[in-house]
Amino acid sequence: MNVLDLNDGVVALGGRTIWRDANFALAAGSITAVLGPNGAGKSTLLKVILGLVPLSQGSLEVFGSPPERGNRRVGYLAQSRRADELASVTGRDYVGLGFDGPRFGWGHDRSKRDVVQRALALTGTTSFADRPLRTLSGGQRQRVALAQATVFRPELLLLDEPLAGLDLAAQAEIVDLINLIRDTTGAALVVVAHDLNPLATIVDQVLWIARRQVRCGSVDDVVNESVLSELYGHPIEIVVTPRGRRVIVGLEEEFAHPHPHGHDHSHEDVHEHLADLYREEST
Amino acid sequence: MSLSQLLALSFVQHAFYAVSAVALAAGPVGYFVVIRRQAFAAHAIGHVGFAGAAGAVLLGLSPILGLLVFCLGAGLLIGVGGATLDDRDAVVGVTLTAALGLGVLFISLYSGYANATYSILFGQILGVTSSDVALVASLSFGVLAVVSYAYRPLLFVSVDAQSAEARGLSTRAMSLLFMTLLAVTTVVAIQVVGVLLVFSLLVAPAAAAEMITNRPLEAVLWSTGLAILSAWFGLFLGVWIGGPVSFWITALASFAYLLARLNNSLHTRRAQRAIA
Repeated sequence: MNVLDLNDGVVALGGRTIWRDANFALAAGSITAVLGPNGAGKSTLLKVILGLVPLSQGSLEVFGSPPERGNRRVGYLAQSRRADELASVTGRDYVGLGFDGPRFGWGHDRSKRDVVQRALALTGTTSFADRPLRTLSGGQRQRVALAQATVFRPELLLLDEPLAGLDLAAQAEIVDLINLIRDTTGAALVVVAHDLNPLATIVDQVLWIARRQVRCGSVDDVVNESVLSELYGHPIEIVVTPRGRRVIVGLEEEFAHPHPHGHDHSHEDVHEHLADLYREEST
Repeated sequence: MSLSQLLALSFVQHAFYAVSAVALAAGPVGYFVVIRRQAFAAHAIGHVGFAGAAGAVLLGLSPILGLLVFCLGAGLLIGVGGATLDDRDAVVGVTLTAALGLGVLFISLYSGYANATYSILFGQILGVTSSDVALVASLSFGVLAVVSYAYRPLLFVSVDAQSAEARGLSTRAMSLLFMTLLAVTTVVAIQVVGVLLVFSLLVAPAAAAEMITNRPLEAVLWSTGLAILSAWFGLFLGVWIGGPVSFWITALASFAYLLARLNNSLHTRRAQRAIA
């Protein structure tokens, strides 16, 4: 049985279609990269799987039943925030919130200590677990956040931009950790990313969302010139470097001019997008 | 009159029970005010309460009733309208201004004894009656019970709203719950230190606590401890030396914050030197 099955999924928010005709399945132990421009609906996809945003059409089954909020078998890493936006809590307390944060009441679960310890050990964060989050490096903070997301050893783990804002060395560390989590827990992982290259060695499947469409398949099936050109509606070229990295030509403006999170940008009309860029530059 | 005779006076004892109860609620609630960065909301609720109290006095009702109604109303309004950080400041600001305008109107309509207004603004702890103490204590213990019951979800939502939401908590419901707790705590704190000095019990001890420790539970205990010590010593100094009790409490709580801050920056500098 698949961990997740999405058939003919359509999501609309406030009367606007975010994406449609989404069809894909996730197998246990697989890693799926979710790519596409800002505002294409990548984070929305994770929220649909979490049961926070309903599908307006189609069907979604997570572990054979409709998604439910607060399911412990599903782990989630939210987009990271800047250090100065974090409260001063230690990594250990932060991971502990993943264990009993949703629980009301006066009681205390004695197994918490061991469960938190195990999550810290899995993610290699024990040595700095007692330092406040805001004093950690971006990579260390992301590892602690992964410890929180994996505290119940979820069978499905959703990671929203785990590599954003990290330098290349830290990105490589997190990619190794993602791979380790897959190998040790056998979970299916969904990783939202901006760039396929850092993840290319561990990815089994790619989901590309653009212009309200969703394409899913192996890396070669999706990340090729004909599929991406059709998806974006203009010619895309892909150059493969001698070390196997893919440089995608034709999307530059989208990566060279990233918009802050929350800034809605559908990229439906290339001309309008260019006009936007012009306006922003002239102000 | 000797000190022991002073402390045996019934109005001093009433004040002692009242400040203790208020500090017990304000300490933990204050910690959440600080980590949720809602000091502005706490400030606004106090001032909205002023309009409520002035209105109640105008109608010949008990000021505490007006305080409760207005503070709860403002808390719910801010909780519903400002659940997300983006529009929180605007909602708080508009609520604050509207209520203060009403307060000005009520005072201008009220031609009676201005002392009622004064005690709302600056607190008059030495004037509390035994029925006031009973009300303040039961509200404070109610807040303490709910905060401790909802401690973990409140902390989760305050530290990491997105993950908490994904794990099944409602950010909006928790925001409403917290604003209700904050409103009730503000009402009881106003009894001790008044509208203008509500920060002294609600924010200063908690801000100091956050400087002292990074462990949430320890910070709650520090915050509560500092609030209680400021309240007790403030009352003691007010009775012994004289001067308004609310002045002494504010001075002590601010001093505690200053000390924590100094200690924190010394500590940071030492840590930096150790690295260098």
